[in-house]
Amino acid sequence: MKEFKSANGQDLREMLVAATRWLEKSASEIDALNVFPVPDGDTGTNMLLTMRSGIEEAYRAPDQSASAVAQAMSKGALMGARGNSGVILSQIWRGLAQGLAKKDSFNGSDLAAALIQSSTMAYKGLSNPVEGTILTVVREAAATAQEQATGGNDDLQSILEAAVNTAGESVANTPSLLPVLKEAGVVDAGGQGLYTILEGVLRYLRGEEEQMQFRKPQIIVSDIPATRAPQMIVADEVPYGYCTNLLLRGEELDPDKLRMKLKRKGQSLVVAGDEATVRIHIHTYEPGRILNYVGSLGTMHEINIRNMDEQHQDFLEMQREKTPTADIAIIAVVAGDGLTQVFKSLGAIVVPGGQTMNPSTKDLLKAVELVVSDKVIILPNNKNIVLTANQVQSLTNKTIEVVPTKTIPQGVAALLAFDYEVDLRTNTQLMDKAKSAVRSIEVTRAIRSTKLNGRKIKRKQAIGFVDGNLVAVSNTTTNALNEVLAGIDLDEAEVVTIYYGADTKPAEAEQISATICQQHPQLQVEVVKGEQPHYNFIVSVE
Amino acid sequence: MAVKIITDSVADLPSKVVEELGITVIPLNVRFGTEVYRDGIDLTAEQFYEKLENNQVLPVTSVPSPGTFAEAYDRLAEETGEILAIMVSSKLTATYEVALQSIGLMKRKCRVEVIDSQWAVMAQGFIVMEAAKKANSGVSIEDVMNVTRKNIPRVDFLSTFDTLEYLKRGGRIGKAQAFLGSMLKLNPIITLKDGVVEPAGRTRSRTKAIERLYNFVMSYSCVERIAIEDAACPDEAEALAKRLSSKFPEDRIYRSKMTPAIGTHTGPRLLLVAVLGDRE
Repeated sequence: MKEFKSANGQDLREMLVAATRWLEKSASEIDALNVFPVPDGDTGTNMLLTMRSGIEEAYRAPDQSASAVAQAMSKGALMGARGNSGVILSQIWRGLAQGLAKKDSFNGSDLAAALIQSSTMAYKGLSNPVEGTILTVVREAAATAQEQATGGNDDLQSILEAAVNTAGESVANTPSLLPVLKEAGVVDAGGQGLYTILEGVLRYLRGEEEQMQFRKPQIIVSDIPATRAPQMIVADEVPYGYCTNLLLRGEELDPDKLRMKLKRKGQSLVVAGDEATVRIHIHTYEPGRILNYVGSLGTMHEINIRNMDEQHQDFLEMQREKTPTADIAIIAVVAGDGLTQVFKSLGAIVVPGGQTMNPSTKDLLKAVELVVSDKVIILPNNKNIVLTANQVQSLTNKTIEVVPTKTIPQGVAALLAFDYEVDLRTNTQLMDKAKSAVRSIEVTRAIRSTKLNGRKIKRKQAIGFVDGNLVAVSNTTTNALNEVLAGIDLDEAEVVTIYYGADTKPAEAEQISATICQQHPQLQVEVVKGEQPHYNFIVSVE
Repeated sequence: MAVKIITDSVADLPSKVVEELGITVIPLNVRFGTEVYRDGIDLTAEQFYEKLENNQVLPVTSVPSPGTFAEAYDRLAEETGEILAIMVSSKLTATYEVALQSIGLMKRKCRVEVIDSQWAVMAQGFIVMEAAKKANSGVSIEDVMNVTRKNIPRVDFLSTFDTLEYLKRGGRIGKAQAFLGSMLKLNPIITLKDGVVEPAGRTRSRTKAIERLYNFVMSYSCVERIAIEDAACPDEAEALAKRLSSKFPEDRIYRSKMTPAIGTHTGPRLLLVAVLGDRE
């Protein structure tokens, strides 16, 4: 076994590779610590990806000196930094690289000095450093290393040993420094990530590579009792505009000046980098102004702007409301909260409306103008709205296609046929074809007495339609639906979806579902709370 | 002294192909709790999916150790002076990095090149097979690498999942993130693009999803090889293979099982077709 009193560049790289693999094993568990409903995403994964990018670069170091490898690691981490924690981690490597500058190899006291630089650099990257995070962990670990070194110890392994112990305690203590952690009953994810990395390095130094394969890092459990259930902390965290990430390249850039300039323009500001490259992360209401300003200083790369309100919503509802591509937007006319959710969850933008409340051309136009995309597909989902939708093209410069869906089931089928890879025209054709492959059943109550298709209908009687044709009249909506279903050949079908209306009891829908399942066991039957007005049942058969 | 080809277990190569072409397969590790298995060696696909269904503990994967690679390199270096390793997409696992980094651990002297296939499953498998065929014809490593790079854009695959839960949990969901949170039960269709998981569509029923896989193969103007892979749904795979065999010569169609390392991230009931060919 190799004894590590000191290490050269190659050793450093091996340590970091081992640490990264160690981190990889628990990245997803560290992700799970991320209880904040903020869109910075997965801390463990972000740190892992940042490490990987650093290591990739470390392999390209011009020579095998500690200085060159640390420098390359720092550069790679900066280029590949993801998320808040990733950026801070890249700062830590940057500090380390500065600390190891011009050194062929390093011993324990060199490491201690470099860790102090790391800590300073990590704090410097943030306009508003928060304790109880990765910052506290790196600061306290560095301080312990420094103490040891001052005490005359320069053995690499034993100094790191002490630093790792402190880091662990520091992580365990994060909940007492950051109330939001305490409420959730977890430790800080970024701090845990850093601890895992340092621990990985230490295990490598100890020659435990073999064991590391079969073990995995422990997530530190805090002794500090949780004050509230995790799901309740959500309300305290207010999302803030747009999460904006970019890499600025230029000459003679001044990260400190940039940080000062951007400080008032948003929250969670992280500015990290050097004269040539600066990574910027900010939560702002006005990403445009940030880009305007930053763009004037150099060239911008890897620009990523995400709407955090949307993502906050996702967090709360555990669902995504993304348009399928930024390229083509889909606008659907839908009534009822449940159906609105269905369409949104499939990527459409919803304009409220339907039977008896048809949206105007202006309503549709407004929605079209609001979306970012220049190409828009409209799904009217009602025969009385198709014409209105057709008018929109003459009023806008955007390219509009209307897929003339006449029912909700047709709309859902069309939406699902949307292909991310193909152009607007092809998509319109695909969606048009898909809408014809579904049968739509609608059950409502007659608003007046009349005669239709030779059938007498009394006011308030339940009536059932298949693709717009009256096929059933009955006294109850359930009977009307059963009558309609009896007339349809379900042997050829695969999926039946029952959307029940706002005035309909879930039990009625469940009852019908059970009956269908019994008679046709091969069918996949789904009951969805559609909450649509007027229509007790809307059913798709496909 | 033909060039020797190395790949990882994610390529899902049938053992017959591996033997015939003399390919070295490095297994990833699959771990249930504290039990660690070498992918495809200590744990067959069948055993794995049975465990997946019946086990409370969910499996995780880990990359092969540098030592495993270095050992394999050294072993091959006894027979050859040139080794080409073609690895699973570096955006999905660190296997590629380990393969690279392990070169430094070799005891013998031998040229080792590592290529990131940017693919997984049999799409990667086809790239490896073509490389091995070329290598066995006795050409230089440069020629084998050229063929390999040319084949990367010539493979593709489409797969249908029962659930995206496993993919999400494993942190490999990529752009298919957009498919999460649907209010309806859907069959997601997924591929890789530039080495990252990418959504390719959704259908209401399994039958329609399988139809998409079939149409995907039929959209090629020239098909050199087709692979049909399944994770614990062999009947559907057989049916699809049978259907395709009426359109294509049977010797171009390969059947394979999703290796446990992939199954960990996809869950059971995954059906997949991979193609080597040209679309135009």
